[in-house]
Amino acid sequence: MTTLHAEWTKVRTVPGTVWLLVGVVALTVAPGALAAGAMPSGGDPAKSALTGIVVGQAIVVILGVATVSGEYGTGMIRTTFTALPHRLEVLAAKALVVTGLVLAAGAVAVAGSVAAGEALLPGGLPFTGPVVRAAAGSVLYLGLIAVLSVGVAVLVRDAAAAVGLVLGLLYLTPIVATLVADPTWHDRLRTLSPMTAGLAIQSTVDVAAEPVAPWSGLGVLALWAAAALVTGAAALRLRDA
Amino acid sequence: MEATIEVTGLRKRFGGTTALDGMTFTVAAGQVTGFVGPNGAGKSTTMRVVLGLDAADAGHALVGGRPYRELRRPLHHVGSLLDAGALQPSRSARNHLLWLAHSQGLPAKRVDEVIAVTGLGPAAKRKAGGYSLGMRQRLGIAAALLGDPPVLMLDEPFNGMDPEGIVWMRTFLRDKAREGRAVLVSSHLMSELQDTADHLVVVGRGKVIADTSVAELIAAASGDRVTLRTPDRTQAMTVLGRAGGTVAATGADTVTVGGLTSGAVVALLTDNAVPFTEIAAHRASLEEAYMELTRDAVEFQAGQS
Amino acid sequence: MRHLIHAEWTKFRTVRGWVIGMLVAIPLTVLVGLLGPAGSQMSCAGPDGQPCENNVPPTGPGGEAVHDSFYFLHRTLTGDGTITARVATLTDAEPWSKAGVIVKRDTEVGSTYAAVLLTGGHGVRMQHDFTEDVAGPVSTSDHQWLRLTRDGNTLTGTTSPDGEHWATIGSVQLGGLGDAVQAGMFVSSPEHVEITRGFGSVDASGGPTMATATFDDVSVDGGWAGDWRGTEVGGESGMDTGHQESGGEFTITGHGDIAPIVPDQGSRGRTVENALIGVFAGLIAVLVVATLFVTSEHRRGLLRTSLAASPRRGQLFAAKAVVIGGVSFVTGVASAALAIPLVEQVEVAKGMFLFPASTWTEVRVVLGTGLLFAVGAVLALAVGMLLRRSAGTVTTVVVGVVLPYLLAVASVLPSGPAEWLTAVTPAAGFAVQQTVPEYPQVNASYTPADGYFPLSPGGGFAVLCAYAVAAVVLAVVALRRRDA
Repeated sequence: MTTLHAEWTKVRTVPGTVWLLVGVVALTVAPGALAAGAMPSGGDPAKSALTGIVVGQAIVVILGVATVSGEYGTGMIRTTFTALPHRLEVLAAKALVVTGLVLAAGAVAVAGSVAAGEALLPGGLPFTGPVVRAAAGSVLYLGLIAVLSVGVAVLVRDAAAAVGLVLGLLYLTPIVATLVADPTWHDRLRTLSPMTAGLAIQSTVDVAAEPVAPWSGLGVLALWAAAALVTGAAALRLRDA
Repeated sequence: MEATIEVTGLRKRFGGTTALDGMTFTVAAGQVTGFVGPNGAGKSTTMRVVLGLDAADAGHALVGGRPYRELRRPLHHVGSLLDAGALQPSRSARNHLLWLAHSQGLPAKRVDEVIAVTGLGPAAKRKAGGYSLGMRQRLGIAAALLGDPPVLMLDEPFNGMDPEGIVWMRTFLRDKAREGRAVLVSSHLMSELQDTADHLVVVGRGKVIADTSVAELIAAASGDRVTLRTPDRTQAMTVLGRAGGTVAATGADTVTVGGLTSGAVVALLTDNAVPFTEIAAHRASLEEAYMELTRDAVEFQAGQS
Repeated sequence: MRHLIHAEWTKFRTVRGWVIGMLVAIPLTVLVGLLGPAGSQMSCAGPDGQPCENNVPPTGPGGEAVHDSFYFLHRTLTGDGTITARVATLTDAEPWSKAGVIVKRDTEVGSTYAAVLLTGGHGVRMQHDFTEDVAGPVSTSDHQWLRLTRDGNTLTGTTSPDGEHWATIGSVQLGGLGDAVQAGMFVSSPEHVEITRGFGSVDASGGPTMATATFDDVSVDGGWAGDWRGTEVGGESGMDTGHQESGGEFTITGHGDIAPIVPDQGSRGRTVENALIGVFAGLIAVLVVATLFVTSEHRRGLLRTSLAASPRRGQLFAAKAVVIGGVSFVTGVASAALAIPLVEQVEVAKGMFLFPASTWTEVRVVLGTGLLFAVGAVLALAVGMLLRRSAGTVTTVVVGVVLPYLLAVASVLPSGPAEWLTAVTPAAGFAVQQTVPEYPQVNASYTPADGYFPLSPGGGFAVLCAYAVAAVVLAVVALRRRDA
């Protein structure tokens, strides 16, 4: 509990945090609104209103990475581990605090996107079960991206490398999949990769056409995030600070 | 190129804090000038302005008569050490010196020379990130020496050095001054400069409090006082006080006398048959002299907060 | 300046992590590029079940992959001559269904030809050698009369609305035309394609079509020999094509197309830029290293040492830019030069065919990838100098350069916003990879997702450069103004 409090105070007192959270909201809502305005007929209204998640997640990556790499960069990590020798607790507290903040910002961002979608989409955004699932799932998606970023940052330590790695991992499959002609492999790739699988949660029209079911897709992303955090935790225990 | 640093009327504010408030002094060739003052007195800011890193709001700083930013190969004019920790930790010390040498058009041979001079030796091949603070200071000195400059400017070079390192540093600084270079060394501990500096620039609250030679400063702080050791302290104090001296007891059998020369003291004591075992002109330590000077200028005094 | 560059180069090469990061970009580009063909298993078991290896499309006289299938009613023309015909009707036509008169070296697929033709939706045109296309006169009246005149190797196409007033469309030279050629009337009709593009999905539907044209007022002049013979150029289509003649009126039903093959999504053919799909991954690695090259100096306070050693701040930045730009350029060139042959080898092994590209085009793409890496790295350097933070800098440049590319090529966005994004963001620089031209005479989906950038290679690169220049100017101004 003390650890959590300490991490919360740390995050709270870094001036950049607030701006990054504002950035998550702005960069999620604005592209979503633009995409909703430009949606062709026959598209998925929920998907287009929530397009901004693809952009906003980049800021979430900065938030997740900076909480960890910032301390390694300045050597403050040694102060932290001197004050709180239980390293895994520190990691858990960091992940919790960042994820909590991202979920809060994500909720605002998604609410903004949904409101923009309702206003700008040709047919509005019907308030149906699948749409609610897409919206709530998108908030969770951002939270999981935060966890993934924290895990990778603990592993890599260096901020630039960690951001590059996370963004590369996220962007890899959507780009490569365009050239994978074999439908089996194409679907497999989209099922296994964190971004494409996770974003299946946004599908509300023709859900069966997605290679992976909405909640299973988010589960795939959760597995990635968990794997990154567990590997990071193992590295944290074994390595010198 | 003359070996001097001239600082004239520097002023600089950081937000609401005045860092420099008309800082003016000159560093002459052939001697070690100590740049002393409490933390926050403006020593590092002055050095950064001299190196063209920070821009002053008013005033100017010249190195050998020219602004630093106009120097084509600055390390040939000034060698400086500001922050020994300013290193890429994954780069070896030798490679750190190598890129600096290349920036001045110096050959790799020069790198090996300064490594030898500063005693880094085989450790130079190791990553600088693993260095102790003392080793980093030596690496910083090596970097400052690369261009064989007539002016050296070192910020707190004694920090983190072991006793052996401190002795080495003192000898090094004196040698460089003897070669005719101007050497400016900052410190917040006067004792470090006790046997090193010839001249002192004492600063507080962004300006110069004293610009004087070490000998003069100590003489001024010592005043004309005489220290007396006597088994009959009360009698001695009465006699000397009656003669117009300012007398203070400093121990069970010691007395400090001001306002009287040592000759007068001896004559008075002999005339009145007061026994004494030892008499000497009082000599203040540099530390005392400094404390006296900066008493008013210390920014964060105890009890203030 | 020379010394500064030398110093920055020493700085760069003496940090092992940066050198490794830069080198990693090369295998990353290649391996990610290999993922595409590795995950593709081509089966060409169409109606004829032919294996893919032998199913390479024909090439035209210019070496480009072409469709060359149509119904050809022809006679042998030796020496000079003229054919004139009126296309009385053209029914069941697609916009690019073609009916007209043609002179072709022979009935071999891909042989040189020139034709004057009426299309279903694009008026009268003169085309030759697959890629060349000239529109006929624009007028309100139908130009149904078509005439093609051979004079040696020169073919002249004319058209008329009434058979009396003739207007010349164009005159072309054909190389490799023998004395005896095949000439006559033809009909072709390409696949009907309808593309619907939504968010994250592309649906292409369609199927083969046939068009029927009736020709009357057919007359020939010159060294014509033999009877009219009907040939399905390009092999049996299995469709109900053919011709009938009654009273000098010919009715021809044809299928197929005479046009260059345009690569698009799902195409079995692969372009040079397809082999470079991994470039974005290599670019991310380069951007990370370029960012660290400047932000690590800020973090350690090393920038003060650098500035004390070289007080001319603009020059210091220039030296950094030259070094990181140069290293990135070499990395980009090496990445592309390795990725293209290696990926193409796997593509061929997997039964795909390669759209031919000239050596000059490949050199241009390889150098272009180097420039993309170099300018991207300089952009990262400038942004890093401005922001002074690693995480923020990497995110900014990756979101600026790579994310719009992803949104556009992965069909996350519909084609309108996708084209807009790849024209106005730094991602426009990816256009340097483009090798396939857009053919106005071929109906296809020319979107970033299909490999078509809205800007030319040079234009797209210029957009990226503009961003880099703006960032560099801001960075140098900030560096000069700020206290270090």
